[in-house]
Amino acid sequence: MKPVAQFPLPFMVFALVVFLLPLVVSGSYVVGVMCFVALYGALALGKGVLLEQAGIFSLAHPTWFGLGAYVTGIAAVKGLPPLMAILLAAGFVALMAFALGAPLLRLKGYYLACATFSLMLIIEIVIANLGSLTGGHDGLMGIPPLSIGGLALEGDRPFYFLSWGLCLGTYWFLNNLMQSRMGRAILSFNDSETASRCLGINVAAYKLRLFIITAILASLAGSLFCFWIRYIMPALFGFPLLVELITMIIIGGGKTLYGPLLGSLVVMWLREGIHTYLGKVLPVMTAEVDALFFGIIIVVILILMPGGLAGWLERLRPAGRGARARTNLS
Amino acid sequence: MRGPIFPEGWLEVIDISRHFGGIMALNRVSFQLEQSSITSLIGPNGAGKTTLINVISGLYPADQGRIRFQGENIAGMAAHSIAARGIGRTFQLEELFGSLTVLENVMVGCHVRSRSGMVSCGLALPSARREETQEREAALANLQLIGLEHKAGDPIASLPLGERKLVGVARALSMKPRLLMLDEPVGGLAAHEISKLVDLICRLRSEGLTIFIVEHNMPFVMSLSEKVLVLDGGALIAEGLPEEIRRNEAVIKAYLGEEVAVA
Repeated sequence: MKPVAQFPLPFMVFALVVFLLPLVVSGSYVVGVMCFVALYGALALGKGVLLEQAGIFSLAHPTWFGLGAYVTGIAAVKGLPPLMAILLAAGFVALMAFALGAPLLRLKGYYLACATFSLMLIIEIVIANLGSLTGGHDGLMGIPPLSIGGLALEGDRPFYFLSWGLCLGTYWFLNNLMQSRMGRAILSFNDSETASRCLGINVAAYKLRLFIITAILASLAGSLFCFWIRYIMPALFGFPLLVELITMIIIGGGKTLYGPLLGSLVVMWLREGIHTYLGKVLPVMTAEVDALFFGIIIVVILILMPGGLAGWLERLRPAGRGARARTNLS
Repeated sequence: MRGPIFPEGWLEVIDISRHFGGIMALNRVSFQLEQSSITSLIGPNGAGKTTLINVISGLYPADQGRIRFQGENIAGMAAHSIAARGIGRTFQLEELFGSLTVLENVMVGCHVRSRSGMVSCGLALPSARREETQEREAALANLQLIGLEHKAGDPIASLPLGERKLVGVARALSMKPRLLMLDEPVGGLAAHEISKLVDLICRLRSEGLTIFIVEHNMPFVMSLSEKVLVLDGGALIAEGLPEEIRRNEAVIKAYLGEEVAVA
């Protein structure tokens, strides 16, 4: 019996490794890639909960990430202190998620997917065409460095710790949530909405609340992303990012909470690996070749591990000792 | 025998109708449930029994009519609001939560009595942790009531049908309902499980719970009920004590068919 939310040993070990990594690795390459792993990981964690735990097939995550980045960036360019800009973005995204989620979440399954996919495309076009405010297709430039209380946080290492702080914080929050009464309510309406409602659970309200909370988490990741690369353009928050996130969830395994984070780690490093080493071996190296090899590796992983990496790891655990009684891991 | 106008736990179904397409599933059904009583609803397949339970619990809106529960019209309310007012139920097809353990299933029943929101749960605030412990203890107590505390951590799919049905009852009881509606609770249960359920229902009734049972199993219904309602073709055709119902010609005809009635 667990009286409060538990954090298994592997998670603690992972957090420790993440913390120690920049102290043992020299240069900025590994640390830099790991910043992206953390931010995309934070994003994938929230999306994984929506998709796999709650059964809310929303594809709007790149949008919340992008809006978070843009509102933060624009506010910072206009001279608002970075911390205020981050809060402003989170508030704006929360309002948008509320206003759009309330009508959209009445849709289910593929219909919700279509509607949120359209939303993603529309927001991308709107950002691209609001040139005077957003910089249009060329992107938003001149984003100041992140500073907190006059202390400028520049360079890889401070950002590394900030990004991983957000990523592991997101995991901590979602893990607490999913092991609480709210988590059980979320799993319950995914299993049987009828029974859930008859037990007094306001399914529509809970879906909307979870939608808003994951949007806020995505917005925070977007804010850090904007201060990390200090140059953002609409194409960063569109269809390619959506595909990347879904790939992370599938490869990592969405039936567990940590799967999408694992997916982010694997996908980002796989990409780097293909990029760096394949170029040296092959005579021609184009984006298409890159994508081809990436695709092949994903197919192989899915054939060998249909439940994703996390599904495969869960099977290594002693029987009956899963994080939850998931019988449908494969 | 009218008591006070709307005593605790008292349910009044007034002129409820519900159709699906051209089929009249419920046709102007009216009846009352006394507080702390056991009432059963019987009728042939397709008589509208489950539809009636679904209308009372708010899953289907009624086309017309009212349902007064403790003096308040609950017809037209959302299912979760009706549940929050103290109407719990089980399902003919269980509707248990497959991704939760046995104990967690029962803990979802406690949900309506706890308060912590998503943010305090996500931040693991002390209030949320306290409620978590309370829910766990209450759910364990209800598992003990059905004698399944040793299976608390098992996945729900690993339980045999009879035990799953009992988990459904424990889950509904965790809401601390005033009215408990059981939709075919003994279908698929073994004899010793039925007697366990009979004991439990009698005990709950003596503790003041009002119980409404939809069931096919006649010995079970007749041994337990203080009042029996008979539904046929969406209309109530009889209402009375078990022994009256047993002798009622219209009931025998509807329930067992013409031949038996003649014989």
